[in-house]
Formats: sequence, structure tokens, C-alpha cells
Amino acid sequence: MDSRLSNSSSSTHHSNSKKRKKNATANNTNQKTLGVAWGSKSLSASSCSSRKSPFSDFSSYMAHKNCKLQNQFDSEASASAARKPIFSGVSIFVDGFTVPSSQELRGYMLKYDGRFENYFSRHCVTHIICSNLPDSKVKNIRAFSAGLPVVKPTWILDSIAANRLLSWVPYQLEQVASNQPKLSAFFTLKSSKMSEDTFTNALCQVEPDVQDSFPRVGQLKERHPSEVGEMVEVCRQISNESNDISSKKTDVFMMEEPIGERVICDEEKLAEANSSETNNERNTEGELDPTYQEPSTSFSIPCSDNQNVHQFPSSEATGSSKQCHSTLTDPNFVENYFKNSRLHFIGTWRQRYRKRFPTLSTGLNNGISNSNKSDIKSVILHVDMDCFFVSVVIRNKPALFDKPVAVCHSNNSKGTSEISSANYPARSYGIRAGMFVRDAKALCPHLVTFPYNFEAYEEAVSCDEAFLDFTDAMVEDPELLASSIRKEIYETTRCTASAGIGGNMLMARIATRTAKPNGQCYITPERVDDHLNQLPVDALPGIGYVLQEKLKKQSVNTCGQLRMISKNSLQKEYGMKTGEMLWNYSRGIDYRSVGIIQECKSIGADVNWGVRFRDMKDCEHFLINLCKEVSLRLQCCGVQGRTFTLKIKKRRKDADEPAKFMGCGDCENLSHSVTIPLATENVEILQRIVKQLLGCFYIDVKEIRGIGLHVSRLENADTSKQEKYTLKSWLTSGSASVEKQKYHMGHNKHNSDCANCASSHGCIHSQGSSFQIDNKILNIHVSGDPISTPPPLCQLDVEVIRNLPSEVFSELNEIYGGKLIDFIAKGKGKCESSSSLGNSLEDDATCKEEDLPYSDPIPLNQIFSENKAMQHERVLGSGHGSCSQVTHNSNIERDDLLPSSLSQIDASVLQQIPEDLKAVILEHLPAHRAQDFCSTPAICPGRINQDSVGVDTSKNCPGTVNHALNDSLWAGNLPSWMDKFKDSSCLRKLGEIYHRSGFNSQLSSVLPQFLSEFHHLDLTQEIYDETVNIMCELLKQYVKVKIERDIEEIYICFRLLKRFAVKSQFFSRVYNDIFPFLQAAVDDNYGGSLFMP
Amino acid sequence: MQRKENETPQGQAASVLVEFLEVAITAVVFLKGVYPSGAFERRRYMNVVVQRARHPQLRYYIHATVSGLLPFLQKGMVDRVAVVFFNTDNVPLEKFIFKLTVNQSYGSSVEGVDLQISLRSFLAKLSVSESLTKKLPPDCRWEITGNFQLLPETGTSKEANFWIPTDTKQWEQPLFITPIRSMSSDPLCLQFYIEHPSLSESSVL
Repeated sequence: MDSRLSNSSSSTHHSNSKKRKKNATANNTNQKTLGVAWGSKSLSASSCSSRKSPFSDFSSYMAHKNCKLQNQFDSEASASAARKPIFSGVSIFVDGFTVPSSQELRGYMLKYDGRFENYFSRHCVTHIICSNLPDSKVKNIRAFSAGLPVVKPTWILDSIAANRLLSWVPYQLEQVASNQPKLSAFFTLKSSKMSEDTFTNALCQVEPDVQDSFPRVGQLKERHPSEVGEMVEVCRQISNESNDISSKKTDVFMMEEPIGERVICDEEKLAEANSSETNNERNTEGELDPTYQEPSTSFSIPCSDNQNVHQFPSSEATGSSKQCHSTLTDPNFVENYFKNSRLHFIGTWRQRYRKRFPTLSTGLNNGISNSNKSDIKSVILHVDMDCFFVSVVIRNKPALFDKPVAVCHSNNSKGTSEISSANYPARSYGIRAGMFVRDAKALCPHLVTFPYNFEAYEEAVSCDEAFLDFTDAMVEDPELLASSIRKEIYETTRCTASAGIGGNMLMARIATRTAKPNGQCYITPERVDDHLNQLPVDALPGIGYVLQEKLKKQSVNTCGQLRMISKNSLQKEYGMKTGEMLWNYSRGIDYRSVGIIQECKSIGADVNWGVRFRDMKDCEHFLINLCKEVSLRLQCCGVQGRTFTLKIKKRRKDADEPAKFMGCGDCENLSHSVTIPLATENVEILQRIVKQLLGCFYIDVKEIRGIGLHVSRLENADTSKQEKYTLKSWLTSGSASVEKQKYHMGHNKHNSDCANCASSHGCIHSQGSSFQIDNKILNIHVSGDPISTPPPLCQLDVEVIRNLPSEVFSELNEIYGGKLIDFIAKGKGKCESSSSLGNSLEDDATCKEEDLPYSDPIPLNQIFSENKAMQHERVLGSGHGSCSQVTHNSNIERDDLLPSSLSQIDASVLQQIPEDLKAVILEHLPAHRAQDFCSTPAICPGRINQDSVGVDTSKNCPGTVNHALNDSLWAGNLPSWMDKFKDSSCLRKLGEIYHRSGFNSQLSSVLPQFLSEFHHLDLTQEIYDETVNIMCELLKQYVKVKIERDIEEIYICFRLLKRFAVKSQFFSRVYNDIFPFLQAAVDDNYGGSLFMP
Repeated sequence: MQRKENETPQGQAASVLVEFLEVAITAVVFLKGVYPSGAFERRRYMNVVVQRARHPQLRYYIHATVSGLLPFLQKGMVDRVAVVFFNTDNVPLEKFIFKLTVNQSYGSSVEGVDLQISLRSFLAKLSVSESLTKKLPPDCRWEITGNFQLLPETGTSKEANFWIPTDTKQWEQPLFITPIRSMSSDPLCLQFYIEHPSLSESSVL
């Protein structure tokens, strides 16, 4: 206690003097007298001297004071036995509250040969120590820190513990770190002050540290777009030869066939001219869905620390890429991401190409009629451009022809970018793709580098290799043909190409490899074995880094060695397909035939680089963009999809920041998918689906490192468009004659009812099928026979008619010339005997409502009100969602749809359904119902009764769950109420928010957000007793848990609730219900009631 | 600040708590303005600015009282410590209550820093809580009371003799509670709140 007091007295002195300083600046007209006053008041040791010599002005006073303090410090330092000069050269200034306190820190500095500054000065201080900063200082960090590092006090403690000066970089204050102007600046400025040791140390730590806090990285980028641009590019590239794209691809997709089929336009024309019937090269439709090939699949090449670190010192802004590259900072991240991605360029060229030559590509399939029959000796020509990317660049620069040239992302002289392609002179220096320009320059100082020029590539050629199958072409000398093709290519494009000829695609490719550069090679079947024997395994397509490493472990380096292994053991080791591929390839066997167009099985987009989210909003924004991208791709390919898969890379719990800058690092791969009944490429539907899918993950968005969206079960958009068209035409005719529609509806009802009569009522399945029937009928009536005559009266079902909405009834009555009323009067008597009919009608009606959104959502709405055009979109969406869920989880057949009311669902089935699915189902029910609800009442109020059954949904669901509520909702790490709440559409949100905030946070921190979000819900949703009850129950249990130990939390929660009770009816009910309980609980524990002002 | 190594977690917590209480009680007294502000001086405790009584007697009273609590705190016998302000009729007007729970079964050691940070927030919150309190009439007095879970038997120990029953009257009406700050960590759980008499009672006074 005593020691502390003395401590604090000295610090009081400091604060006092600070105060005085302020005074002085305020009244510097009167400095002299003030100076005297300080002297007289001051209790410090320096007071005597200052009394003697009043200072001429404030600055001289301060100078004197600082000098004094320093002397004091020095004397104290010399007094204290110096143990080790850890902090030699370090001079700290402690700002604000720290743990340990500034006085303790001062003690440490005394002990370990550091300096402690009482007043901040740019010249003396080397580090600012503080643990928290006000916003204003963070915003204007330079004014505050003058560019000095702002470090947490733990730096000092840890340094002492380590008994050496640690790098301050990892200890940088997070707030500042995000704002830190320029790390490189610190290095250059500080290096003189820090020992060399520290400097390198610091460098080594920059990288992990940078990745430590994303916001900071983001900020940093904003300031140094060029540098970051480079980093980005560096990371984005896979270190493979760009010429040999196929090998790169196989790197990435080991199991897939290589995609090396690149076609040059000119070549295409040529080939066409030469051998029109072979229709050759377009076997382009290789294997993979092109859009699968994302840049970010570059899992394998982490940049080393060193490389990353070297990004920083470079300072010149070339201004080449002004956009920033993280989801945090760049609103158009997705767009830019794909724009700047080379792999994306390569991956998608096929679509561009196809678009350019639509006619050719359609005729393709026919041309290739099993040309690879085994008995015919096939000859395949493989043409590959030599160092394509470079060639394109230098074709207009003959001066560079025999100079080493490389293409890289950025032309920055600092050499921080990665080479994607180098020409042969350059390669002779040992320069390889994937190398850093810096390293390359070390190998070859006069290397000329160029940035990509995508337009030129596109304009010159689409991509850089092609296969040509001229087995059937009866060419005498394949070599001659090859050389003529190459010649023509060169003449047209001024780029050289190499050609390989072999018995199959594999051999042709291997031949090309040998032939390069600018040559050709023919591997005759006889020479295959010789050739392969010495071939390193990684030269085979489909063998990437990982596989190569595995093989190396078995000491398999060449194909010859690979051949020693039996097919069986290969398959055992590497899986069926890969094993077989290895076995085949090592023997030069390749069954693939040129020119087979494989339909894309799925289309999607992945972003696994630079994905960092702060909150849900970021994430949703990102997803919206991703959806746009995917939708564009779908449109590009002219397809629509039904199954949507969202893949998420989630940072592993123990994973550090990835070595690769902004990379995805060690991740768990999660995925969820849904299938919807109607194929779509619509962005909005996509977005909705994706949002739902994301909801299924229950994942903290901060953990997300990569997101991919894939669409499969593709259907041709044209055909579905036609369907749409007919639907539309049907609609237009429908809206033209609403009366007829109504009649049809009635009629339809009648029919379906009849169908239902046969089956027992209430069975969902039979309803589903019966609906299909009447749907057909409906269509027939509408399209085929718009002016059909009404069915004879005797065929009408009395019950149906009677239950029709009054308007519809009166219309029908008109149609029947008023006979309908009589008919009903008659029917009443009859009908009493068959009461089951009535039921079946109801069922039928509900069934129809459910089914319509699925099979054709538009007509129903259209029937009811044409001006609900916008709603139909929503109905459509919700229909999709719900259908997909049903298909997924329950045994109900796909055509069956969610009933409009939970009462129609078997509760036990619902219990069995997985929680997330259940939540989605339940979520959809009210939404679906709400749609009907708003679209129907105007015209057919009779339906409201049925709808109100639907309204009960959310009532029912908590009801079923409520029994389980009685005990500890708050127990466990993941409080059980979250499960329960999933069932309630509005309260689910609370669970989500709670989840997002991390489970340990208190309700009071979650409530405000929930309340604000709930406010929106509150407007649209009705308040159900059960929802109120469940909320009350939750709060009650929360009170029980917290009342004893944390009354403040309870108080805050209820103040919040009270505040919201004013705005929200829901919360006012909750509040009123729970308040007595709360007061009783407080009374029990504290003997009083909570004071709620 | 250095603690003995062999202390139990409860003992550690209790000694930190005693220190804290001394500061906090001074802060309450300062906040209520029972004494002129000149009776206090600014000090720094746990890195926040606090007040310290300058008058030796006042300082002693607070210090001695809370120090007297220490043995009972260690045993977990103290239910709450209250700073009671009452008028000349000994009718309390406002009570600042520290409700304590010391987990006796807690085994592992106490992170002094964590505890400090938590306690610090009490002081910070208290310094801005003046609006929650009532204005006291002039001429009022105050005392520190300790509510024990069971009355220490007088004569058993010196510390027990230290404590005398309070003369302050109890409120007859239900009272109102305004929580200021709570802390629930192991082994110490502390609730700090203000008690006011119900409105009817206060209007009578």
C-alpha cells in the first residue's frame, strides 16, 4: 500500500505538471508570472531551481524540466543495478492507462537500460506505449505518434521475460495497426536506432503480424495500392509455367483430366480448311467446368515469409492497380478479383471462344464419331504456342526477340511480382514461372518484364494450344502437316508454336514438350516406350505437386519406375481413378478422344483469397456479388441450374494466419446445398438461396476464409426459356380474361375435388398427385380451350360451389344463368350425408395453395390479382426454397409441397428432421402464407379462413417445443434456447445474433442489435402468444441464471426491454409479462425491487 | 501490491477487495459530497483517478473498518458491505451496497491483474453515477455497515469485537434497487448497487 501511494504521488505530480502545461498554453501572455507560480506550488525536487530562475518562456521551462527529469532518470538508472541492457536504445513514452502502470514501466526501463520519457518528443521517443487509444487519436494517428510505433506494454514485459529485445511489431496496438501509415517507413527510420538484430527480427515478424489484423492490412493497402497490388498478384498466381497451362491445371485438379485444349483462332480456320471432316480441335470441351478454375485454387504455393516481407520496403506507386484487394476494403472485390485473375482468364476463354464461333461448336459433336477406335492407328497432333504470354507481348518488338523476357503481373522494379511466363532465352538463365521477378533479375540482370495484356491475348488468340485428330484425314506425313500449321500460325500471329504428334493426346502432348521451343516432334507408337522410360513423372498431365511428392516417397521419379508398380497397388495407393490414370499414362495409354464436348456439369465461382469479413453485412454484400458473378457465368454458358452448393472455407480453430498473404490457410471445407424444382440463373433467387445456405452453416463470418458457389444440375436455358414463354403467353391470355380464369379455377377445384373424393381426405400425397392432375386440366382449359363451356350442373360438386368465395360464386352463377343457387339449395340436403366431401374440399384448397408456388406460381397470383407482379417473384422464391427443403429432408415426394399449416404435418416427422432444415421449413411456412395472405383477401375473402390456419404455424411450432422449455435454456456452451428459437421465424434472429457475437457474450450486448432488427420484423409479423411466451421464458431463465451474480446485466437488459416496449408491441407484451417475475426475483435476492426509471 | 505466495485464492481476493473497498467507499463518500471536496485529494489507484481522504480520522475510519472486514471476508462470512447515508433521525436515505460472494471452494490462483481490471470498472462507473443517486439533505451522516451471514460471536476474536450493531433504522417499505456495477468472476463475485427507500417513504421524509 505504501509503495503504491508513493508511486501515485509522483505520478500525481506529473499529471499536475501536465495540467500546468495546459494552463500555460492557454495564458501564454502571462507566462512569466505563471512560471513563478508553478515554481512556488511545485512540490517536486526541481522546484528549488525553478524558483531561482523563472523561465523566459514556456518552452525553456519545459526544456529545463525535461533535462531535469532526464538527469533524475539517469541517476536513478545508475543507482539501480543494471542487469542487462535489454532496452538499450529504446526510449518509451507511456500514453494513458496501461497495465502495468507507467510507473512500473518506468521502473523496467530504469532496470534494463532503456529510457523513459515523461513528455512526448519526436526526437527522443522511439516507442509509444499504450493499451488503448481514443478514437480521435486513432483517426489522426500521425499527429499523435509522429510515425512512431505504438506498442502495447506487453512488449516490454515479454521482452524482459525473454531477456532480449523482441520485435515490437507483433505487439503493435491493434487500433493503430489498422491505421499504421507505412511499415516500411518505420523500418527505415527506426533501423538506425534499433540494433541490427532487432531490425531483422522485426522484419521476420512483419509478415505474421500483418496478417494478424486484417483491418490493418486493408488500410495499409489503401495507402499503397501498388505494393499491395503486387502482393496480391503474387499470391494469386500459381507458380507454374503459363505456357503449359495444362500442367498447372492438373496441379490444381489432380483428379481431373488436363484441360490443355487451347485453340488458336487462326489455327482453327486453318484446320478447318485442311480437314473439314475431322472437325478437330474443339475437343476443347474438356473435362472440367471451366469456371471451376479459379485463381484461388492455388493452394500449394505459399509465399515464404521472406518474400512477403520484402513487399514493404518498396515504395513507388506505379498506380497500376488502384483497387484494394480484400473483401474488407473493396466493395467490388468479387468483380475485381476475377478481372485480375489470369487463371480465370484462361478458365473462361472457352466460353468466349464458343460465343465467337457458335456455329462451329454446335456441329462438333457429330464430327467426332468414336474416332478413336482401337484398331485404327490414330494420329493426334498437339499444337502449343511457345511461351505464349511472352510471345504475344514481344511479337511487336522484334528487338526483344532473342532477349530474355518475362511476363509478370506488375512491372515494378522492386521485383516483388511473380513471373508467369518467360521466353526461352530467359529460361536458359534458369528463370521459371512462379519465380519472383527479383530472383529472376538476380539470375538474369537484363531481363525485360512486361505486365499482362489480356486484351492482346484475346485479340491475338484465345488460348495457346490445340489438339488435332487427323486419324481419318489420311495425311501421309503428319510431320509435314504439323510444320505447315506451325508456319501458318507464325505468319498470322507472329508467335511461334511447337507441335507434337503422337498416337493419342497424351503422347502428342509429351511430344510437344520435347519439341519446344519452336519445333516439332513425332513420337511414333514404336518409340513410345523409349520416350516414356526416362520421362519424369511430373511431366505427365494429371500429376501435380502432391502426387509427385507421394510418388517420390515411393522413389518413383520416372515413368519407367512408375511402370514397375502394378495397376492394383497403384489403385490401392492413389484411388481407383488416379491409379488407373497413372498406370495408363506411364504406358502412354490415353483413351481420351479429341473433340468430345463434355457438357458442363456445374458452374460456379470460388473466392478463396482475400476473404475477410467483419460482420454479417460484409459477408452478405460479398455473397450478393458472388451471386452476380455466378449468374453472369450461367448466362454466359446459357444454362440454368437447380442445385446450388455453397462451399465455405472456415478457418480451423487452431490455424494461424495463413503464410500466404490474405490466403485461406488451413481451413475446414464445409458445404451445403439445396435443390430447387425450377432451374434458374436469376440473380435474386440465387441471392436468396445463398443467404439461406449461409444460414445453414451457423458460422462466425469472421472465420470464413473462402466462399464458393456452384450451380449444378444444369439445364439448357433455351428450353427453359421456351417453357417460360409459354407460361407467359398463358398468363397474358389469362389476365385478358380474368373471368374465365376464375371460372377455370372453380372448375379446377371441382375436378381436383373429385379426384380427392376417391382418395381419403387429408392425405398429403394423394393431394399432391391429384393436384398434378388438375393442373393439367387447368392448362388444357386455358391454353387449348379458353372459351370452354362450363361443365353441366350435375357434374358440379355442391360442397365446392358452396365454399367458393362469394365473388367467384356470383360469377359462376352468372355463367350458369342463376341456376347455381338452386343447385346448391338442392345439394345441401344431399351433402349432409356425405360430410367427408367438405373436408376434402378444404384439403384440396390448401393443397392448391401449397402446390402452386411450385408448379406454376405465377398463374395463381395472376388469377387473384394481376397487379401483384412483384410478389410472384417472391412467391416463386419461397416456393423454391421450401420445395428444395422438402426434397432434402423428408420422405414426401418431391412434388409434394409444404402444407400451409403445421397442423397438417406429422409432428413426429418434424421432430426427426434435422434442426436446420426444420428451421428453414418453419421459416418458410409463415413467409409463404404471408404471400398468399396479402394476395388473396381482396378478391376472395373466403380464403382467409384457410389462411388463418396457416397463420397458426408459428404458434404451433413453439407450442410443440414448449414442453421442453422448462429446464435450463441457458445451460451449456451453446445455450439450448438457440435450438428452440430456430423454430420461430422472428426469434431465430436472436439466436443468430447471439451466435454471431460469440456465445459467451451477455444478452445485454446482443439485445440492442436484436431489438433493432426485430423492429423490422415486428412490422410485418403478427405477434403470437407463443412467441411472447417463449421470449418470456427465455428472459425468465436468464434472470434466474444471472440474478444472483450479475444484477447489473439484468438491469441493463430490462432497461433495454423497457425502452423497446415503447416502440414494439411485442416487447411491450414481453416486458409486461416478465416484469412481475423480475421484481419477485430481485426481491428474493436483494430484498427490494429494481428501480426502473 | 506484492502478495504472499502462499495465500489462498480467497485470501488473495479478500485482500484485493479490502483495498478496493477502502478506495470505493472513499469514492462514494466523495461522490455524495458529505464533506467539502477539499477534504479529498486526487490519487491514482489501479490506474484510475480516485479520491483519498486527507483528514486522518476519516481516512482511518474507512481504512480500519474495511481492514476489520478482512478476516471475515476471507472466511466468506460477509454478505454485504453498505455505505449508509442517513439523516439526523437515523433514518437511512440512501445505501450503497457491495454485495459479496466469495467462492470458498475455488482452488486455482487469482489473476491479480484481471481482478484489478474488473474492480477498476467499479470505480470508473461510480464516478459517473452521480445522476443515479439522490441529493442528500444537508446535515446528514453516514456509516459503514457490514451484513454478516452469521453474527460473529463477540469475544471470540479481536476483530469481532471491533464490530458493533448499527443504530440505523430499517426501512419499513419495500426499497428500490439501482444496480451500478456487477462483477462475477471466481472466486469473487461482487454486486454494487444503490438502495433507495420507496417513493412514498421518501416523500414523507
